[in-house]
Amino acid sequence: MKIEQTLKNHNITILDTNEIFKCSENDHLLVGMRSLGKKGIPSGCHGGGCGVCKVKIHSDKNNYKTLSMSRAHISKEDEDNGVFLACRVFPLGDIELNVIGKIKRKCINGSKNFVFNY
Amino acid sequence: MGVMKIGHVNLRVLDMAAARNHYENIIGLIVTDEDEAGNLYFKGWDEWDKYSVILSPSDHAGMDHVAYKVETDADLDTFTKSIEAYGIAVEQLPAGVLIDCGRAIRFQLPSGHTMCLFAEKTFVGKSTGDKNPAPWPLDVKGVGAHWLDHCLLVCPLDPENQINTIADNVNFLSKCLGFRLTEQALVGPDEDIQAVAFLTVTNTPHDIAFVPGPTAGFHHASFFLPNWGDILRSADIMAMNKVKIDVTPTRHGITRGETIYFFDPSGNRNETFAGLGYLATPDMPVITWTEEEVPRGIFYHSGELNPAFTEVYT
Repeated sequence: MKIEQTLKNHNITILDTNEIFKCSENDHLLVGMRSLGKKGIPSGCHGGGCGVCKVKIHSDKNNYKTLSMSRAHISKEDEDNGVFLACRVFPLGDIELNVIGKIKRKCINGSKNFVFNY
Repeated sequence: MGVMKIGHVNLRVLDMAAARNHYENIIGLIVTDEDEAGNLYFKGWDEWDKYSVILSPSDHAGMDHVAYKVETDADLDTFTKSIEAYGIAVEQLPAGVLIDCGRAIRFQLPSGHTMCLFAEKTFVGKSTGDKNPAPWPLDVKGVGAHWLDHCLLVCPLDPENQINTIADNVNFLSKCLGFRLTEQALVGPDEDIQAVAFLTVTNTPHDIAFVPGPTAGFHHASFFLPNWGDILRSADIMAMNKVKIDVTPTRHGITRGETIYFFDPSGNRNETFAGLGYLATPDMPVITWTEEEVPRGIFYHSGELNPAFTEVYT
């Protein structure tokens, strides 16, 4: 007998801001966050390459699955400590996390306008 | 003699199956080879040579190297001398090290990026042929990009410590390889920090470009489409396939190009780019963007920088 499975939505909590959003098991965390207009985790390439969406997940490892992501940003030790790129994390249960990644900004000394992030 | 055009870009990808689907079925490039190491080779339908994109399996994203094609084999000796005289080490690569290419030379730009030069690559031609050709083939997939147009690299800039590898690259490519500066941004309190640079060896506004960042990296590889309507269709195809679009269709002030930015499944940024912009002949003056107007130079309509666009790279 074929069992129809409905996709579940899970609660994702950004502990830094107490922002909570729903994310489907089919979507990675940034799709869940952005499609509801929510903010909190920096959103970059959505492919596990650029590293800006680094998070520390406090929930049980059975509450999510991950896809491969860049070793330039996430080491094996990071993975063992629950540190991942949010764009490669798909929820299987509720998740609580802290944001580690950020978009770095620095002005050129004495320049009139902020122009470049570096 | 001289550098003729961009030859290929070698990108690292995390998931080869997903990457192949992206470059073949969405961008619409043609797979021309796959080697034992698992590297995939692609060409645009409107390119004569065997490949313009190499995808290599890796545990991190980004660019391995960019290669330019020179006009004659002897150019490789001439450029070896000029690059070494400039103070940059040159590695001689026997034929076949770059697959399906003749001998090549490899060296590092002042920004730390690896560049190769080669004179010969296997010719495979276009399906439309070279006799009474149709204007386009019927079997193009996805967006149907014509060719690899240029790449943009992120280069270390730290004026407080007198580091500007954008300016260093411009100086090197102009003096040693015959590139011409077409457009630049001059920023800082004295408007003397060359923070953005676009250079050409053909007569298009850019064949390579540089923007600043904390570390050397890859910003994007760009693929040519003929017109604005193609850019809209390109965005539609991206959305249908849930490709992560970085910047929806707009116009650049710099180069006047019409553009859409998006990411491959490993987070390497791509662009489809339309509009020749203008004819970049050697007699044109360098076009300069001031600090206040740099955002409009990048995104002409909004005039606002998108932090993810300037910060996110592989």
